[in-house]
Amino acid sequence: MSSSAHLKLTSNSYHSNSCFFSLQELTFLTKQEILLAHKRFTELLSKEEKDLPNTRVSMERILSLPELKSNPFRERICHVFSTSAHQDGSLTFEDFLDLLSAFSDSATLEIKSHYAFRIFDFDDDGTLDCGDLEKLVNCLTGETDDTRLGPEEMRQLINNILEESDIDKDGTVNLSEFQHVISRSPDFVSSFKIVL
Amino acid sequence: MSDNLCEERRLVVVKEEVQGGEKMEEHRTVNFMRLLSDESTHSTLSEDSCEYYQTEIFDQLPSIQACRPGQCTQGFLEVCEAKQDNTEPGEKLRNRHLSRGSRDKEPMQPLRNLALCIQAKRSARIQRKMQISNIGFWESWRRSQSINRRRVWEQMGGALSGILPWQHMLHAIEGRFGVGVKAYFVFLRYLIYLNLLHCALVWGFILGPTVFHGRSNGSEPLRFGGNDSILDFFLGKGYVDRSPVFYGFYTRGSLNLSCLNTPLLYLTGILTILFLSLIMVVRRTTVGFKHRWMLGKRYSMNVSYKIFCGWDFTILDPAAATLKHSFIRNDLKLFLEEQSFSLREAQRTLGQKVRLYLLRLILNVLVLSLLGGAFYLIFYATETSLYESGHHWLVSLFLQYLAPITIAFVNLLLPHVFRKISSFEDYSFTMQVNTTLVRSIFLKLASLGIYLFFLFKTTKERQQRHCRENQFGREVYKLCIFNFLATFCTAFLLNYPRKLVQEKYPTSLLSRLSGKQHFLIPFNVLDLVYSQTVSWVGIYYCPLLPLIGTVTLVATFYIKKFTVLRCCVAEDRMFRASTSSVLFHFMLLLGLIMAATTVGVDLYQQDATLNRMCSCGPFGNGETVFNVAGVCVNSLPRLARSTLSYLASEAFALPLILAEIIILTSYVSRGRANQKAIERLKDMLVMSSSDKRFLVKQHTTLLRRRRDKCRARAEAVGEDSVVSG
Repeated sequence: MSSSAHLKLTSNSYHSNSCFFSLQELTFLTKQEILLAHKRFTELLSKEEKDLPNTRVSMERILSLPELKSNPFRERICHVFSTSAHQDGSLTFEDFLDLLSAFSDSATLEIKSHYAFRIFDFDDDGTLDCGDLEKLVNCLTGETDDTRLGPEEMRQLINNILEESDIDKDGTVNLSEFQHVISRSPDFVSSFKIVL
Repeated sequence: MSDNLCEERRLVVVKEEVQGGEKMEEHRTVNFMRLLSDESTHSTLSEDSCEYYQTEIFDQLPSIQACRPGQCTQGFLEVCEAKQDNTEPGEKLRNRHLSRGSRDKEPMQPLRNLALCIQAKRSARIQRKMQISNIGFWESWRRSQSINRRRVWEQMGGALSGILPWQHMLHAIEGRFGVGVKAYFVFLRYLIYLNLLHCALVWGFILGPTVFHGRSNGSEPLRFGGNDSILDFFLGKGYVDRSPVFYGFYTRGSLNLSCLNTPLLYLTGILTILFLSLIMVVRRTTVGFKHRWMLGKRYSMNVSYKIFCGWDFTILDPAAATLKHSFIRNDLKLFLEEQSFSLREAQRTLGQKVRLYLLRLILNVLVLSLLGGAFYLIFYATETSLYESGHHWLVSLFLQYLAPITIAFVNLLLPHVFRKISSFEDYSFTMQVNTTLVRSIFLKLASLGIYLFFLFKTTKERQQRHCRENQFGREVYKLCIFNFLATFCTAFLLNYPRKLVQEKYPTSLLSRLSGKQHFLIPFNVLDLVYSQTVSWVGIYYCPLLPLIGTVTLVATFYIKKFTVLRCCVAEDRMFRASTSSVLFHFMLLLGLIMAATTVGVDLYQQDATLNRMCSCGPFGNGETVFNVAGVCVNSLPRLARSTLSYLASEAFALPLILAEIIILTSYVSRGRANQKAIERLKDMLVMSSSDKRFLVKQHTTLLRRRRDKCRARAEAVGEDSVVSG
């Protein structure tokens, strides 16, 4: 009973126009999308958590969303959008909106490629080095042993990637080089998308 | 001083721990190892050159700060920093200054375009708000208006894309069969739109005026009866022959001004359709081509695309995700295979090369003779079908359809033969697909061309009892109908039973022989291009072809969807969307050019042979396409007439060509200049990056040397104390 009352309360607070306007201004989402996101987010919360104002949802529960379930980068996505001080990948509602905004239809190529870079940068050091690329390729081909590429193939592949996109020849792909590659891809914007 | 340095070092370690706090255990140990190796006494430059980006000075570079992921955790870091009171205050200040500099790089950017978390955007907005109050009322109003306007446009765009049919279906197909198959269906949908547009034009220019203004007095009203039968709908005779489907229906009616009459409208309609199609197809081709050109050799980014843009984040279904994994894996393996193939190719000996070229020559001769045989077969069938008369109706129906059947048969069989042949030629896989495709295009368009050529010749030789255009239109009509029937039959009489046999008796010889069915995108696209070309060729003789085309294409859409989803398994090798759609549109362009040539040649020949025995359709009574336009021009006022005659003269053509040359030259030179600028910028980038690397390395060695010195001093002090103790 109390939980439903609270749901009403929180949804009221998000229904208030000024709050909507600010969220709409700060993200690429429309009013309907924000409402839907709020609905989906509160479904992930347990009863007592709904009473707290700024709750975090743990990464495990976020990953149970069907939109993220079969994504090989799901854990990276949570880590990138999490503002948690403990770096545990847990999301607040606003973090969740950030995630949906970056993956929405109307987000710019600039934003999308920026977040893609951060998702692919597995060790968070600001560049895609050989280790990052190897993990990235493994995520793409599948993580199990029989789906992975052989070490020789992997070496050849990473050499090819670096040869093509590492313009300044420093052995890593940095953000601007990455965006340079992405900006020439006709398929990127349409595929870098998560819609609830 | 030495204490300070060591403290700083520790701080960096703490910072790294904070940023990568959630990282796996092995990472922490890696960091730790790196730290150890840093502290161990090695001072050679070459050893750490590969990991210069892991040094501490690198983290403080403005370019790195700009894309640092730690902006949201900035506050936390500062708290952490504050706890370590031993740090130099200057260091902290510099850090904060740098990050802020990058954050406010573009103050006019909309807030949501910043790659920050919402909390950071809020604080950025508070800063902005102050600026806005400085700017004044007008500017803030303008900004909010622009936001509103953009939102309205976005909503309209969203509503429009919601209207587009089959969006959901396409999504499902893409999830199961990849981008290539989806590209086929998108192309099919594009053709349907194109045909709908043609229908609207035909209605506006040709059918509408005839309906409202009637036909000439001599023409009898349209009625189904007498000798008409259902069979006429397949043969294009009798009732259909008299109906608006064909050219002969549109005679000059009450709309009879010198510049607004049925023949002129008819001509304008056809020309508009052809011209509009040309513009649309060229536009689509160039858009694709631009991408392809950019992806071309000089800026080759093929593997990087496969990696960086490989994953489709819209995939929800775990099965689709597994499929996508295998797609990507196979694609990458294919690429690597092809690379090693080219390596192997480079190592071929002379004898092997000679043998290979001889083999290819023989196979090409074989292909040519096959093509020649096919063309002769088509010629023979055309002659037979045109001269048939007085058989049983079933035989007659078969004979009437002999030419389309032959063409369809040849086009069904030979591409597969070509596919087999190209597998012997020792080309790489992509090259194999492309050679097969080129040969099949040639076969398809050339067989159509040959058919039309013989048709022209034979219809001209026979001084026909009836309307020549109608007869030609009838052949094209039959081609269209047969094309659709062939699609229908292959789906329901060939593919579906095959699938059923495989499902019911998976171990039987028949199902093992036939193997799994794949959706061969190139051949299916070829079919579409072919039918569209036929439609363009026939539109002058048979103006309702776009309507027929729309109906058959919609039916084809559902048939193909059924085939794909029910009968086919996903291809192991992927077909990339962007490159394939260029190829599709290029083929379509070829078809259009062929169609326009056919119609043009026919009109020109009509003009050359003025002694036309019979008159039917809009251009009767000795009128031709050319003198109808002439009559109209003559009725215009003097000024317009002289302007038109100037536009049509050589005096106008010369300046036009000159202007075109000048514009083209300027574009070409601008393109070259841009290329040079790109090269120079690349060089500069490499240069500045190497400078950066050099400076970073110098800085680290300096630091290390100092630290070594400090440690040596500390050790010396320690030894002293030991000695003294």
